[in-house]
Amino acid sequence: MVKIHHRTGSIFWIVIGVYVSIGAYRLGLGNFHQPGPGFIFFLAALFLTILSAIDLGSSFIGKPKVAVDKKEKPIWVGVRWQKVLLVLAGLSLYTYLFNYLGFLTATFLLMVFLFKAVEPTKWWISIVGSLTTILISYGIFELWLKVPFPQGFLGF
Amino acid sequence: MEFLHNISLGFSVILSPENLLFCFVGVFIGTLIGVLPGIGPVGAMSLLLPATFKATPVSSIIMLAGIYYGAMYGGSTTSILVNIPGEAASVVTCLDGYQMARQGRAGPALGIAAFGSFIAGTLSVIGLMIVGPPLASIALRFGPPEYFSLMCLGLTILIYLASGSVIRALMMATFGIIIGCVGQDPETGSSRFVFGIPDLLDGIGLAPFVMGLFGISEVLLNIERSLQERSVFTTKIKGLLPNWQDWKDSIMPITRGSVLGFFLGILPGGGAIISSFTSYAIEKKISKHPEKFGKGAIEGVAGPEAANNSATGGAFVPLLTLGIPPNVVMALLLGALMIHGVTPGPLLIPKHPEIFWGVIASMYVGNAMLLVLNLPLIGMWVQVLKVPYKVLFPLILLFCLIGAYSINNSTFDVAVMLFFGVLGYLMRKYNFEGAPMVLAFVLGPMFENSLRQSLLLSDGSFLIFFTRPIAAGGMIATFLMLISCVIPFLRKRREAIPLEETT
Repeated sequence: MVKIHHRTGSIFWIVIGVYVSIGAYRLGLGNFHQPGPGFIFFLAALFLTILSAIDLGSSFIGKPKVAVDKKEKPIWVGVRWQKVLLVLAGLSLYTYLFNYLGFLTATFLLMVFLFKAVEPTKWWISIVGSLTTILISYGIFELWLKVPFPQGFLGF
Repeated sequence: MEFLHNISLGFSVILSPENLLFCFVGVFIGTLIGVLPGIGPVGAMSLLLPATFKATPVSSIIMLAGIYYGAMYGGSTTSILVNIPGEAASVVTCLDGYQMARQGRAGPALGIAAFGSFIAGTLSVIGLMIVGPPLASIALRFGPPEYFSLMCLGLTILIYLASGSVIRALMMATFGIIIGCVGQDPETGSSRFVFGIPDLLDGIGLAPFVMGLFGISEVLLNIERSLQERSVFTTKIKGLLPNWQDWKDSIMPITRGSVLGFFLGILPGGGAIISSFTSYAIEKKISKHPEKFGKGAIEGVAGPEAANNSATGGAFVPLLTLGIPPNVVMALLLGALMIHGVTPGPLLIPKHPEIFWGVIASMYVGNAMLLVLNLPLIGMWVQVLKVPYKVLFPLILLFCLIGAYSINNSTFDVAVMLFFGVLGYLMRKYNFEGAPMVLAFVLGPMFENSLRQSLLLSDGSFLIFFTRPIAAGGMIATFLMLISCVIPFLRKRREAIPLEETT
């Protein structure tokens, strides 16, 4: 199982390396006398691809180099990856709706969601905690540091 | 005389009310994040990077530096009281610090950690004052090939000392260079890997990149595990002042730790973690009672705590004099200075003496502030330790979101941060390290420029890196280090070194 994860990681970086190499080639490599805009990308991507291939090869030859505490432990088993997805979905939605809803509304909803989504928290704690947090952050960033937050369709 | 003039300039900078406030905020936040497990100095500095954009360059760097050395102080508190290191450099403090706490000597352990850190911090600042200016004047003679080879060497040492596979660390450094160079080509102006997004023309922002890679990914990793409450050492802490015997046992470990930490801090990839482990190993080796180590020996707290604080001062040497960050924290400081239009390097001292000497003076003042913050207010930090993570993580996320947004008042930066948050999370799950990537990201544009300029100078010949003595020295050292990773005997030696894992 550990080897599969090891190989997945290597293959991912091989794909990235090949993709960047092609992109860099299209940008123009120039020559050693006059390096072009794609020169450094091509060199780096080529290096990345070769290293990833060696890393992949090492998983077939010897034991993969993994941290001691993760030895023999499948990385997606026994962890709450669903919670991670939930939080990421909340953060993405917040980013998407931020300008539309405005800072105060969007942030209040996000904070309540974060307080409730990962661990069970009492409603009143979530609401009071969220209100306190957004008021403090509004004071620091909007009033003190003059960060212009969007007001949203509600006007605040 | 000139020295007195310079140091008085530094104190005139730090003693302005604004800079004192920034210094205090920096060391306070540093102590706070040092105390709180789950967020390290890199995460906190990246979080607060956008907040410094409206301040002057010197104020920004004073605050960010304060966070760094403040975290070193704060990290010892959790190591001693909870047996959980607040940040990686305090791991070794757990060994004897927690044992001292269990024996009812939490007070002297915390006290010697704070005093040791103060003494070491001050000694390292003196070292920085002595070593910095002469080194900067030598560096004035460096050209693109020298810089290129020094950057190669710096990256290689960091990779060499990275935890886990060297190949994977190299892969991350390579990818860091790629994403660091995204945006307009500095020579031709053509856009590179911007995918038609105008926001990417100026490149990927340092703050959203690092906030995502360290801040967001750290939170995601923590929430995938059950958020258990930490048990804090509840015995009343009394007698923070170490007694005469404690001082007698500790003064030499503090002195040795300070010197060792300073020099290890200068080395690229060295720094606080390696310094603290090395200091512990040395103290145990030369002690008349090595059997006491691990069972509450005060030398096991004093030496490593002094070493990790001293290393923070040492790390400023290559950054402020050569413009080359030796570790990821210094890479962030480099990024912060460049955002303010200040380029660290040999010209920093003649062009911006107020920054160099102001930062040095701020470290004196900051160390004194930390002593006040860490000893009388220890009860407050113990209370902070009790804040449950389920309350803490939404706040960390919110600060990341607002911080990323406030850079350009754009949700694009927030999206970039989330992207790198997910990437950082997956990287950690699959055992890829973020630190080499960040250092390479920051060095990427300089790396590219110095390579291209060197090739232009040499009419396309790579021999330029081997015909100039300093450049050749750097390149040979780089190759030797890389080769040593594949020689079995040397590889085993490398694996025995305490490994750097910065968060």
